[in-house]
Amino acid sequence: MPLDTSTYSLALLRVDGRRWNELRRIHAQIRTQAAADGSSYLEMGHTKVMCVVTGPSEPGPRRGGAGGTGGGGGVGAGGQSKDAEVVVNIVIAGFSSVDRKRRGRGDKRTLEMQSTLANTLAATLHTHLFPHSQINISLHVLSQDGSLLAALINAATLACVDAGIPMTDYVTACTAGSTSTYAANDEGADPLLDLNHQEEQELPGLTVATLGDSDKVVALVCESRVQISRLEGMLAVGVDGCKQVREILDQVIKAQGQKMILDGTVDKGTGLNDMDLD
Amino acid sequence: MTSSQQVLLSPAELSYLHSSLSLTPPIRPDGRSPTQYRPLSAETGILPGTNGSARICFADGTEAIVGVKAEVEKTKRKWDDDAVYTENSHNDDEEQQQDGRGEASNGNGNSDWVELTVEIPGYRDDDPSTVFLAQMLSEALLADGGFIKKLRINRRFHWKLYLDILLISPPLSYPLPLLSLTTHLALLATRLPRLKSEGDEDPFFDDDWAAAPYLYSRNPTTKRIAERPPVTLLVMAVGGNIIFDPSKEELAVADVALAVSIGDATTSQRSQGEDDRMDVDSGNSGGRNLKLLSIRTVDPPSRLTPPGVANAANSAYGHAQVVNTGANQKMPEARQTESEAVEGVWKPPRGGAKAIVMGALVQKVLVRGGVADEVLDALEGVDTS
Repeated sequence: MPLDTSTYSLALLRVDGRRWNELRRIHAQIRTQAAADGSSYLEMGHTKVMCVVTGPSEPGPRRGGAGGTGGGGGVGAGGQSKDAEVVVNIVIAGFSSVDRKRRGRGDKRTLEMQSTLANTLAATLHTHLFPHSQINISLHVLSQDGSLLAALINAATLACVDAGIPMTDYVTACTAGSTSTYAANDEGADPLLDLNHQEEQELPGLTVATLGDSDKVVALVCESRVQISRLEGMLAVGVDGCKQVREILDQVIKAQGQKMILDGTVDKGTGLNDMDLD
Repeated sequence: MTSSQQVLLSPAELSYLHSSLSLTPPIRPDGRSPTQYRPLSAETGILPGTNGSARICFADGTEAIVGVKAEVEKTKRKWDDDAVYTENSHNDDEEQQQDGRGEASNGNGNSDWVELTVEIPGYRDDDPSTVFLAQMLSEALLADGGFIKKLRINRRFHWKLYLDILLISPPLSYPLPLLSLTTHLALLATRLPRLKSEGDEDPFFDDDWAAAPYLYSRNPTTKRIAERPPVTLLVMAVGGNIIFDPSKEELAVADVALAVSIGDATTSQRSQGEDDRMDVDSGNSGGRNLKLLSIRTVDPPSRLTPPGVANAANSAYGHAQVVNTGANQKMPEARQTESEAVEGVWKPPRGGAKAIVMGALVQKVLVRGGVADEVLDALEGVDTS
């Protein structure tokens, strides 16, 4: 079903009623699972993902010969290397999309997301602190409605924070698009923030991940055709969206931290005296 | 197939575990009684995009999510089917739960109407252990004859049910009981759109989700579920003890491990009235009639563990080697397995399970008011509406 973009110019509202620069509702939780080293649950609109981090730990016995067969995207040489290996494993549940579509392990799109994610995280996590070890990140997609890669990156960041793996800063991701298709060649097209599934199918879009509060881009994925003149606007909107996402994730982590201190799960550190706990 | 990954326990630890589990009563590493399940928290209806979903977290931190999705599919007609649609097919239009029961001729479903997949992180989906798990779970469902019949819409169409089972946590213990219980709950919470068309027409459904009936229908007044999907329990025997829901460490010293699938036969039994005890306790309090659906032996990892070496045979303890043949020196295990069992020295179980042990295990599962009852009662307590 083609997306009706003609109404956008009338009221400047998108199909789901958002303005061009509005994010969907983001709801996140960390420490969702007791047994894991780190875990998180993230919703961006109707896209719902869970992340479980195991490690840094000794690389386990490899099944089926060399190379992580279970996890597609492995970065670093694992047991032999001075840096920890980041292994990402994405499971897209068959029931996640509207029509059930089963994706095998060897699905090209999944593999590409795995390697993008592994590269992004390996650049941000302080892997040099954990030689000869492995960080296993397994992600489960429970429901998808666009911006899947962005949701996966955000969930992985949260889970890594929960696991206590030292990292440079938050890696937050967001998608950006443009109001008219490539073929329309519309010079006056507005950029859009945080695409949903419908928009993602029709309009040009990109996923951008930035480091913390800075404008440093750590991952940029664009899989659609778009005029170069529109790219700058899309990127600017995307980077701005990442900062908004960072604020939300930061609040989630601070809230969890406060809860843990109040519960007495962790001791109140020395630097925390000035933190307002009420 | 080994039932879990490599166990990193030394022969001494295995021997300790084995002997403490063989005591009467057995002492389990986590302090449970032999028939006690791990405590769990469960919720259903967590994914609005599915026909039914459930999530269970066991106290040891393992977590699973099951989503059920249904599609309408055209039924392949068999050659021997009569091509004429007879008048008596009119009773189909009431509810799909009821139909198929009256007419035995074409009411029976086909096993491809259900597709069950298991996803375990870190394992390939064609990994033998994953395939075996999926097989065990679907086998139990199909053995419960009433289940497939529920999927029939009319002569020409049926529901195809996709069950996707995700293990979210790393597999800390053999996930079979967890996955089975989660599947059970997801099926209980599954609803299919209400059929509006009649007879053998192309199916047409009510788009009001609130009107959608449950796959496992409820009694309209008491809200109790009349029939229940099967559950698969994991049981193991160590020494003379029977232990339910073993953890990974316990499974590592198991003599025999069995996956026993059971169904609730309360309704059918009651109508036959052959059991006099049913009259006394007609509710769910006194236990239910359980029927055995399938049994699978699970190959416990204990068979692959290295044996311990007794001090008497260990030259490091000053024992003079009696036989110093070359072959024996190279393979101390080979020599050890043939020796007699020594107290306190781990010796992996060899050979198959004895029929009497298997019988005792199954008997223990099916006993009235036993663990299976407890599990079903606990699952009944979960709000599936």
